[in-house]
Amino acid sequence: MVSTRFNDPVKPLPPKPSRYGPLPESIEARSSDLGQMVSIRVQDLFPDFLASIYPSDAGVKVIREATERALERIDMSMIGPGDSVNILGSHHGFTILGGEPYAEMLKATKDAIVERTGTDDIRLRAGVGLRFRESDEYIQRFGLDEYFGGKAKGVAPIDEGIPIQTEIGTLYGIKRCYDADWIVHAHNSDVREIHFHRHVDRAVKPFGMSYARLETRSTYHHNLGPRGANFAARAIFNSDLVQKKWTFATFLKPTPAGVAGVDADNNLFSLDERLSIDNFRYYGKILTLLGRIDDCIAILDFQAPIPYVFSAGMIFANFSASSVDIFDLDYPLPGYTWYTESFYGRDEKPLISDVAPMNPAIKAIIINYAWGGYPSVFWAKMIPTIVVGESQADVFRRDPQNVEFMKHALVAEDLGTAVEMAIRITGTDKLIAFDGAPGALNVSESLASHLVSEAPKVDEEVDAELLPKWCRQRGITVAE
Amino acid sequence: MRVINMFAEVDPEKCTACRTCERVCPTLSIKVGREKGAKKAVVDLSTCVGCGACSERCEFGAVSLRDLATPRVIRVDPNLVDRQMITDLCSKARLHPEQVLCFCTGTRAEEVAAAIIQGASSPEEVSREVGARTGCKVECFQPILRLLVAAGKDPKPVEGGWQWYGLTPTVWDIPESVVAKYSSRGFYFEEDRALFKKLLETKTEGGDNGVH
Repeated sequence: MVSTRFNDPVKPLPPKPSRYGPLPESIEARSSDLGQMVSIRVQDLFPDFLASIYPSDAGVKVIREATERALERIDMSMIGPGDSVNILGSHHGFTILGGEPYAEMLKATKDAIVERTGTDDIRLRAGVGLRFRESDEYIQRFGLDEYFGGKAKGVAPIDEGIPIQTEIGTLYGIKRCYDADWIVHAHNSDVREIHFHRHVDRAVKPFGMSYARLETRSTYHHNLGPRGANFAARAIFNSDLVQKKWTFATFLKPTPAGVAGVDADNNLFSLDERLSIDNFRYYGKILTLLGRIDDCIAILDFQAPIPYVFSAGMIFANFSASSVDIFDLDYPLPGYTWYTESFYGRDEKPLISDVAPMNPAIKAIIINYAWGGYPSVFWAKMIPTIVVGESQADVFRRDPQNVEFMKHALVAEDLGTAVEMAIRITGTDKLIAFDGAPGALNVSESLASHLVSEAPKVDEEVDAELLPKWCRQRGITVAE
Repeated sequence: MRVINMFAEVDPEKCTACRTCERVCPTLSIKVGREKGAKKAVVDLSTCVGCGACSERCEFGAVSLRDLATPRVIRVDPNLVDRQMITDLCSKARLHPEQVLCFCTGTRAEEVAAAIIQGASSPEEVSREVGARTGCKVECFQPILRLLVAAGKDPKPVEGGWQWYGLTPTVWDIPESVVAKYSSRGFYFEEDRALFKKLLETKTEGGDNGVH
């Protein structure tokens, strides 16, 4: 059935080989192949969104040009010839639009440092989440080891550590991140785990996660509270160790519509304020709109673990958390964070009334394609879950972080059957694909109509009420 | 509770005896020793839980996970341990007994507390007995250490190992000057303290809670 009102579905990226996912050839169909799917361009929903520079016909060279322009105003005078420099990066950047723009930003940053400082001892240290070889896979895929002269490494939170004295006590970093004279912070600005960091110091967060040892990450997720957690990152960033090595930050700027550009600054907090306002405006609108969905079936169909598959730039974990406004710090607990999960008792019910439920609009989850390497049983326990095919089911059965996942999920032989079954069980025909389609949402026509009718109201509400509130809560002043 | 369905297997042809696997194993089940005269990593299958740390960090691809023919379960039953002792220990560590500590295994504070009361005195022993810290190995570490310290144990990191380094601050330890300085910047420490306090004071159906 071809819609006369909406565009054809956007084709997602083909599956990638990875030790964390099923073999690409085992993925027989994609959600965009389903007859009832259409797409809506993000900029058709919100016309004020920034124009994207990528993807475009010009390819990845626009990212190099944007990086060079952003770095022109950066002071690199602290780096001398012969000094060693660690460019600190993260696996997350490589999940954005296939990873090529982030890889290009890393390469362009290296080249700029070589040209401006006269040193060529530049290393890449790319952090990971809970899939400890993921960055190594990207380093290989994008030829980064060769580009960095054999000095590109994935670093993991179980690698050798280094104590870092901070204003709240000792925290721990990954030694390899700090084994150079200078550090450069090369990240991306998407909101990603906003349900965890609540967009407080987003740009600083990787110091408490991507470059940090497990002790610090455990502090973040258990010790400091759902709205104080990211202070671990600020404490590390403010430490003498980091400040003595600090140079500048380079950030890829994705929005729900694509990559808007590259930003850079010697002052990380100034950069953080700029990207926060942009993120509230763009991701804030998309997430608020997704929060207006009354009922749906979510189809996960992307090369990432369950929480990190995304639709219009929003990861699935955020959608599951959005039973309350995640950006609003007055809410202590979104519908999903590890604090939320840890507050469920033996009877699988919340221990206290402040715990928001996982987004009740999600009536069922279909997992057509996703990776392991993130503890995800909570989703299967909270929401009826159908996994497509035995290969995908085996990913979870053989994942030490998800040994019991399939105890709570059903297996369907193919995607079409899974969708039919989910529609029959839930009574809704609204489908939303978390397939990473660039700049668009792939949804069923019924859901597309709903989103189009809600978008103008959301646009106005975010601009007039929510964005000023989110900024005020974080002490951010918005210029008139 | 942890279902164990895999184990680590070393390919001696690829092993360089670099000791990375030994340094990251959360149950101390892999050692580099002499095998037929050569130094190689050797797995103790009686304690290996198949968490994959060794396989994930081996730069030489020398360690793989294999399916266990018959999966087994490790757990400590909190119902077999004095409830008051569990409640008191959790309270001291500022954790609710039913609070989930390990998201990979669903292990609750009460099970870790029970293991400690029964004699576990290090994070490694806790991992061997209840399986917590054998999935991602990252997130559950601090509450386990908090419970051990609250029980009066004095665990020391494995010498030369990277399994863990030390205890880190909680929201209760943050100086008031820091709380005041950053409250207008979005760090809601006081409100989060109140949230934790409410959790700790919450009684469950059996009348159990974390505060006395």
